[in-house]
Amino acid sequence: MSDQSSSRPSGFDRRAFMAGAAGSALMPMTARAAAQDASAPAAQDPSLPVEVTLRVNGKDKRLRIDARTTVLDALRDHLKLTGSKKGCDHGQCGACTVLIDDRRVVSCLTLALAAEGQEITTIEGLATDDRLHPMQQAFVDNDAFQCGYCTPGQIMSAVACVKEGHAGNEADIREYMSGNICRCAAYPNIVAAVKQAAPEIMKG
Amino acid sequence: MTAAAPSPKANMGQPVPRYDAAAKVTGRATYASDMPLDNPAYAFLVTSAIAKGRIDRFDLDEAKGVRGVIEIVTHENAPKLKESKLFSNGGYAGTTIQPLKSADIAHDGEIIAVVVAESYEAAREAANRVKVSYTATAPSASFDSTGTTTAAAKGQNAQFKEDPAVGDFAKAFDAAEVKLTAAYDTPTQHHNPMELFSTSCAWMGDNLVIYEGSQFVYGLKHGVAEQLGIDADKVRVVNPYVGGGFGSRGSMTPRTAIIAGIAKRLGRPIKLVPTRDQGFTITTHRAETRQEIKLGANRDGKLLALRHEGAEVSSRADAYCVGGTKTTTRLYACPNVDSLVSIVRADRNTPGFMRSPPEVPYLFALESAMDELAVKLNMDPVELRRINDTNVEPIGGKPYTSRSLMACFDEAARAFGWAQRSPQPKSMSDGDWLIGYGCAATCYPTQMGPSAARVRVQRDGRTRVEIAGHEIGTGAYTVIAQTAAERLGVPLEKVAVFMGDSDLPPAPVAGGSNSTASTCSAVMMVCDQIRQRLFKAAMPAQSLTDRAKETVGLGQTPATQAAKGDRPLDIEKAFDALGVGVVEEYGEWKPEGAPLDSFRAMHNGQVRLVGGHAMKDQIAYAFGAEFVEVRVNRFTHEIRCPRLVGAFAAGRIMNPRTARSQLMGGLIWGMSSALLEGTEIDERNARYVNDNLADYLVPVNADVAGVEVILLSEQDDRINPVGVKGLGELANVGTNAAICNAIHHATGQRIRKLPVRLENIEV
Ligand code: FES
Ligand code: FES
Repeated sequence: MSDQSSSRPSGFDRRAFMAGAAGSALMPMTARAAAQDASAPAAQDPSLPVEVTLRVNGKDKRLRIDARTTVLDALRDHLKLTGSKKGCDHGQCGACTVLIDDRRVVSCLTLALAAEGQEITTIEGLATDDRLHPMQQAFVDNDAFQCGYCTPGQIMSAVACVKEGHAGNEADIREYMSGNICRCAAYPNIVAAVKQAAPEIMKG
Repeated sequence: MTAAAPSPKANMGQPVPRYDAAAKVTGRATYASDMPLDNPAYAFLVTSAIAKGRIDRFDLDEAKGVRGVIEIVTHENAPKLKESKLFSNGGYAGTTIQPLKSADIAHDGEIIAVVVAESYEAAREAANRVKVSYTATAPSASFDSTGTTTAAAKGQNAQFKEDPAVGDFAKAFDAAEVKLTAAYDTPTQHHNPMELFSTSCAWMGDNLVIYEGSQFVYGLKHGVAEQLGIDADKVRVVNPYVGGGFGSRGSMTPRTAIIAGIAKRLGRPIKLVPTRDQGFTITTHRAETRQEIKLGANRDGKLLALRHEGAEVSSRADAYCVGGTKTTTRLYACPNVDSLVSIVRADRNTPGFMRSPPEVPYLFALESAMDELAVKLNMDPVELRRINDTNVEPIGGKPYTSRSLMACFDEAARAFGWAQRSPQPKSMSDGDWLIGYGCAATCYPTQMGPSAARVRVQRDGRTRVEIAGHEIGTGAYTVIAQTAAERLGVPLEKVAVFMGDSDLPPAPVAGGSNSTASTCSAVMMVCDQIRQRLFKAAMPAQSLTDRAKETVGLGQTPATQAAKGDRPLDIEKAFDALGVGVVEEYGEWKPEGAPLDSFRAMHNGQVRLVGGHAMKDQIAYAFGAEFVEVRVNRFTHEIRCPRLVGAFAAGRIMNPRTARSQLMGGLIWGMSSALLEGTEIDERNARYVNDNLADYLVPVNADVAGVEVILLSEQDDRINPVGVKGLGELANVGTNAAICNAIHHATGQRIRKLPVRLENIEV
């Protein structure tokens, strides 16, 4: 028999690591956000909400949120843009992938405050005037999903993959799409979809 | 046409794109945690850090000090919930371990507190500040731990009725010319669907709405009502889309009633999004197994004796087992068979079904053993299967309704290029890579359950199908829409399907690959009722036989009428004759041999599946054959699997596109089960170690190269009205054996323990 006194704070270690790892990149921005808005009480009490303006799919959205809110939770819980999905909250699955200034990022590991002033594009912002984006159409044509839960992340990732120039051949597509897990394992169809959409996207 | 949409062969439907494709590629498909709630509070779970013992004390001061915390629920103040029996004992629950009931801890990661706060961030922080003092006892983790108990499954698991046996195994094995005895191990696995195990609960007065990804909305509705002690009519479960199930959402877990109870107390909707690692312990998993196979055969390969023994780990509380011997003792012709399944109880959470529950572990053993026997006999493994192929299962002597096993082997072998294989192990290579070819059989029982449906047709042909089925990625919306469109003869675009809502007519659990057969049979029957009404109204009684009324689509002309130059049924005329705005029919379908209480059970959320080996005078299985190429690096021992080829026959294929995708995903699951997946258990603490998606390995895109799915045309009129066998759980069976057989061919090393990693290779 042993006597232990500890909780099992799930993800505690990783979170501590996350804060440390992200610290250098994110803190200055957080500080700037607070400094820009003198009324923001973040400096006095870190648990009070802060104001942040996020530019999402071309529109500015003003929010009062906990300073620890990720882009993913800001989108889902505060902006009702639930297309981006949470599959792990740890940067391990890619379900939450969005574009920030055209770069693909896992929005679960990006604080909303750190994304202020940047252009966030989500799956909801991809189609124009009810016309599917070529990548969305390619996913439909190639049956590149089953349950569909990883799909928004796959599509955002795929768009970036093409623009990065990583869709030149199947091996490259497989490699550069490997940050997005599909538990249904639609992988061969995802590769086919990226191949189909790539030329059209490159044409612009 | 893309590769994703194979041209239909005989007895196959059209490969139309998914009904829900646009919703899924635009982010409009709403999963449980996407559902809008009015001013929700956020819940975060605290789970046990010990596997066995009791909680002495909570220190909640710090946690309560976190701004925004509303309530912390522990066993000391939890809502009182009634017990629910295990689903296999007529209840709804996947475990009878009920967290928050007492200070006792039954397994690591058990829910011990729920923090509710104004924001997700506050709830998470407070959960991390909950301090717990435990008195811990040394737990038993698994097979080799002290303190486990072992007993035969028969007698303690209500669904495991018999250890199949026939003839005199001992005598026949003794006398056999060629003998094999081998032991096989399979690991714990976790489903890890991409959607987390989220639950939102909102009350409107006495009525509760639950948003939760479920493979069985009726079961969940009744189970939660039972636990809360309220009328099931007051509970509604809604989930139009489910982010993967794989068995993890088939039975009720404790979290749902807990969250519902807290939401009721607080008078506020609550949203729970558990973490990925919590998902490893608050739901179920595939239990680890240890098995032994004995095969005795003639020199010419005829099986004379087969014995299969399996042991599976379960919790202290529940006698769960999958008992795959029901399949492995019936797959090949063999006059003397014996088997035994036992359950080992440890301090673990209760396991449950995971994609092809019995067949994945048990066919790994059988199909590996068949390969080993082929090597002993110096015989092609495909030929060994052919010699022992049978149309009659050996235990009860019942005929298979149809069986295309060897046709699958031949088709897949051709596509794979099996003829190019040089049979000697270590005889094929490419530079630093040793090449191995391997194959195995797959099979999965054809199962069906009672199902209801409601169909409504309007004057303009617009059709609405309502059925509480589940879209877990299988293509359920699509094949149901196709069935209605075909049967009614209306354009597919005019059909709308509503599913994933327990207010709709009941459908069975989306498990056991029964969904398409069951729901489409029900929809087909109800469409026939509509057609009959319309034809009766529009055509004079004597001009059309009842048979024609039942079988002719609204857009078609019955042959008898065509001869007279008539056009297809004029729907508008029929509506006018009936004097109604819509025609709506409700119907209940049950498979042949379904128990008497089927429909009552169906409305009460209880499962009544029939089929497989349990049918009266026949046995129904879908079959397939899988061929794989593996490459093992001579120096680094890296294992790659560049080619997976599977041929499958599963009765009518409703949609070759969705069928191919499911089988393709299945093949990749099978590869994963051989080479990647396994939950590591800390023996001292009975704890899952790799409880996240970085350490629990699942395939990523770069792990998958060539996957080829061949759909065989097969017709089976003896199973159900739609002639569907079900294939969602067919392709991931046997793959693990095929890969180990290929590794043996590549390296000469026989590996009998999964998963196979490079450290296990000794070239
Ligand atoms: S949710 Fe962000 S990577 Fe998984
Ligand atoms: S489609 Fe289900 S996880 Fe990718």
